[in-house]
Amino acid sequence: MSSRSFRSVFMVASCAGAALSCYLVSLRVASERAALEDVEAKIVVAQGDMRVLQTEIGTRGRLSQLERWNAGAFALSAPAADQILKGSFELAQLARPDHRVDFQAPVVLASAPAPEPQKELAAPETESSSPQAAASPRALFHEASLKTETREDLARTSAVLPPATFRTIDKPANAAKPAKEKSMAKPGLAAAQTTKKPAQNLRTAAIEKAKKAAEARVPAKASEASKLKPKKSVDKPIIAMTKPVTKPVRIAKVDPLAPLPAKHFGNSRGSATER
Amino acid sequence: MNAPSPALVAPRPERLRLVGQRRQLLALMHQRLMFGMLVYAGIVVIIALRILYLAAFGDHAGRKEELTAFIPERGDVVDRDGVPLARTIDAWTISVHPNKVIGDKLALAQRLAQLMPEQTAEQYFAMLRSGKPFFFLRRRASPELVEAVNAIGEPGLAIEREPDRLYPQTTLAAHVLGFTDIDGKGAAGVERAFDPYLSSPQTRAQPLVLSISSKVQQALEAELGAAMQHFSAIGAAGVVMDVHTGEVLAMTSLPNFNPNAAGQGTPDQMFNRATLGVFELGSTFKPFTLAMAMDSGVVSGPAQIMNCPEVLPAYGHLVHDTHPFGRQCSIAEVMMESSNIGMAQIADRLGTARQKAWLKKMGFLDRVEIELKEKGRPLTPGSRWGPFETMTIGFGQGIAVAPLQLAMGYATLFDGGVYHPPTILKIGPDHPLPPGRRVFTADTSYRMRSLLRLVVMKGTGKKADAPGYRIGGKTGTAQKIINGRYSQSINLTSFAGVFPMDDPRYVIVVMLDEPKATPETYGFTTAGWNVAPVVSRTVSRIAPMLGILPDMSREPNMAEVLPYVQEAKKTQDSSKD
Repeated sequence: MSSRSFRSVFMVASCAGAALSCYLVSLRVASERAALEDVEAKIVVAQGDMRVLQTEIGTRGRLSQLERWNAGAFALSAPAADQILKGSFELAQLARPDHRVDFQAPVVLASAPAPEPQKELAAPETESSSPQAAASPRALFHEASLKTETREDLARTSAVLPPATFRTIDKPANAAKPAKEKSMAKPGLAAAQTTKKPAQNLRTAAIEKAKKAAEARVPAKASEASKLKPKKSVDKPIIAMTKPVTKPVRIAKVDPLAPLPAKHFGNSRGSATER
Repeated sequence: MNAPSPALVAPRPERLRLVGQRRQLLALMHQRLMFGMLVYAGIVVIIALRILYLAAFGDHAGRKEELTAFIPERGDVVDRDGVPLARTIDAWTISVHPNKVIGDKLALAQRLAQLMPEQTAEQYFAMLRSGKPFFFLRRRASPELVEAVNAIGEPGLAIEREPDRLYPQTTLAAHVLGFTDIDGKGAAGVERAFDPYLSSPQTRAQPLVLSISSKVQQALEAELGAAMQHFSAIGAAGVVMDVHTGEVLAMTSLPNFNPNAAGQGTPDQMFNRATLGVFELGSTFKPFTLAMAMDSGVVSGPAQIMNCPEVLPAYGHLVHDTHPFGRQCSIAEVMMESSNIGMAQIADRLGTARQKAWLKKMGFLDRVEIELKEKGRPLTPGSRWGPFETMTIGFGQGIAVAPLQLAMGYATLFDGGVYHPPTILKIGPDHPLPPGRRVFTADTSYRMRSLLRLVVMKGTGKKADAPGYRIGGKTGTAQKIINGRYSQSINLTSFAGVFPMDDPRYVIVVMLDEPKATPETYGFTTAGWNVAPVVSRTVSRIAPMLGILPDMSREPNMAEVLPYVQEAKKTQDSSKD
């Protein structure tokens, strides 16, 4: 009975509930839409602001202003016809002169650490097994003889000065370092040579003897040089310089390029030959 | 009447009658009530339906119109690369309502004079006491000034934002862009020509894309301005145009004005020399005469030999050359040395009627076809156009055209002979290339290439050459008419060039009005000395921008002309026109 009598009430309540839920949905949609429109409005405002800023930048950086700076302050001008390249090939061609400059540079360097090469005589011998070793020393020999005296003298002074006076930090210090390092490395190199020698049958006995003799000289010279250096820096640098020039030119330049690779690649090359 | 009539029927009792009346009344009232109720119910239903409809489909109260994109008050104008050339921004406007001022007017006037010194404190004070309702104090005020004025705190001062036209590049392409008046209506240039497009709400959201390239424009303006200053010329004009489409990449007229403050420009600055001004452009016309003659079969080609005397008597006048041949000369030499005598003879063989027909076909007898409204009408001899006038027009005297028209003529000649009307709008999907009209044959167009290249390589236009860019062209030095006579000393020099000549792509026309001689020109004021170097410098600046790479190995087919040039004769440099 009660259920039947309250039926209408339930009906009304359920209808009201359904209507309310529908209304809530539409309200939710409306609020979402309003939020979206707010975002759109913000976007439009932001677009306006961007326009203003772009306009300001464009006005401050207008072409006539840039031209004034370019022509007046920086003295820039349009590129000439020969400054414009057609492609990567021409660009690569431009790079060639740089290589030439690089090619000349090592000559100067080679003459700089003149005393060192003598010490390193031991190292080149180890490498002499490789065919390239014969070619490289020749080239170096020629270059060095062309440019010897004046440059080497300068290099000497630079190399000589540092140990005595540590005040000059730049070149002398750099030049002095390699000499020390190499002298330190000698024993190791000598060991490597001894190990390799038996494996390599190509060498002649005469060469080996010569090298051993050279090794023997090198330490002596190095010690002499180390003794001489302080004297030179203190006393008469010019006389000291003349002496070393005569010594290194011939022998030293043969070696310096060869030994360095020997340290790094000696093992790998040895293995390659063994295979 | 007085006697009561015998009642045959018992009279209706009064009460019953009243009842019937009441019933009728009630029924009527019921009807009315029902009607009123229906009306109310109908209204309620309509309102309810409307509310439901609005709830379902309507907009809510906070909704704003047209908010999905930013639409400026007036459309932007951009160049072909999208660089804005004209924009509308919201600018601050400071105004005063003297009647609403409540503070001390004298102090306010003094403060305003400090902030805006364009008027004195007395003037501001008089303004405040005038009793008038409104004055503009400053339009397009700077933010700093607005802040300072706002800090005064006077309610009578009004600070508002109003749309204002801004030209970010200031004087760049001022004559092309034009300017707007105080109400924002276009008053000149593109602003005037495209005013409906720029102001219509339907179209103004999309910027108007011009064919102008601002970089090219800047290069042309800078180089031309420097030359104008160097040679103390009173004016200059320049046009760069695409040969194949007729698009104007740069167009300038100097002296120019700042469209941001157009009111401050003088009439001389406002005058567009490139389109509105018409000038006798002298020898730059000669290639047209030769092309007409070659196309008409009057002249066989560069190899034809003709008589080139020291002076040519013709129709009661004497035609002179600045550097006469005094011998037989070839057409190639006539062109190279810009011989008036040779060209007059060619024009004479062509004849007046044919010359008129050709000029009409090329568009030289009508206003130039461009969208701008500032267009000058060419000047021709009109009814006096006789055989001698035909001769003078043959070498460029007696006909005055706008520099843009000259550029158009060169574009026609070197686009394989096809005419395209010049346009200031970028050719693209929105503005397709209109079909061209053939004027010259392709063969004539091709043969003119080497002839004009010869002028720059060996003739009067040597200083116009830019290495690698293969410029070909023609110098022109026209004597100005002063008081009805051709002046011997005051010139108008021009150069019309095309580059690269082996495959023409761009035309450049530059003009200097009354250049003066300088020490390095050795006293000459001819085109080869003052205006040709402008072309050289401008082309070497703009050609890489336009995608033309310098190439020393390419040239037009010079074998067509070089055999017909007498090398023994030492050319007198570019001292001739």
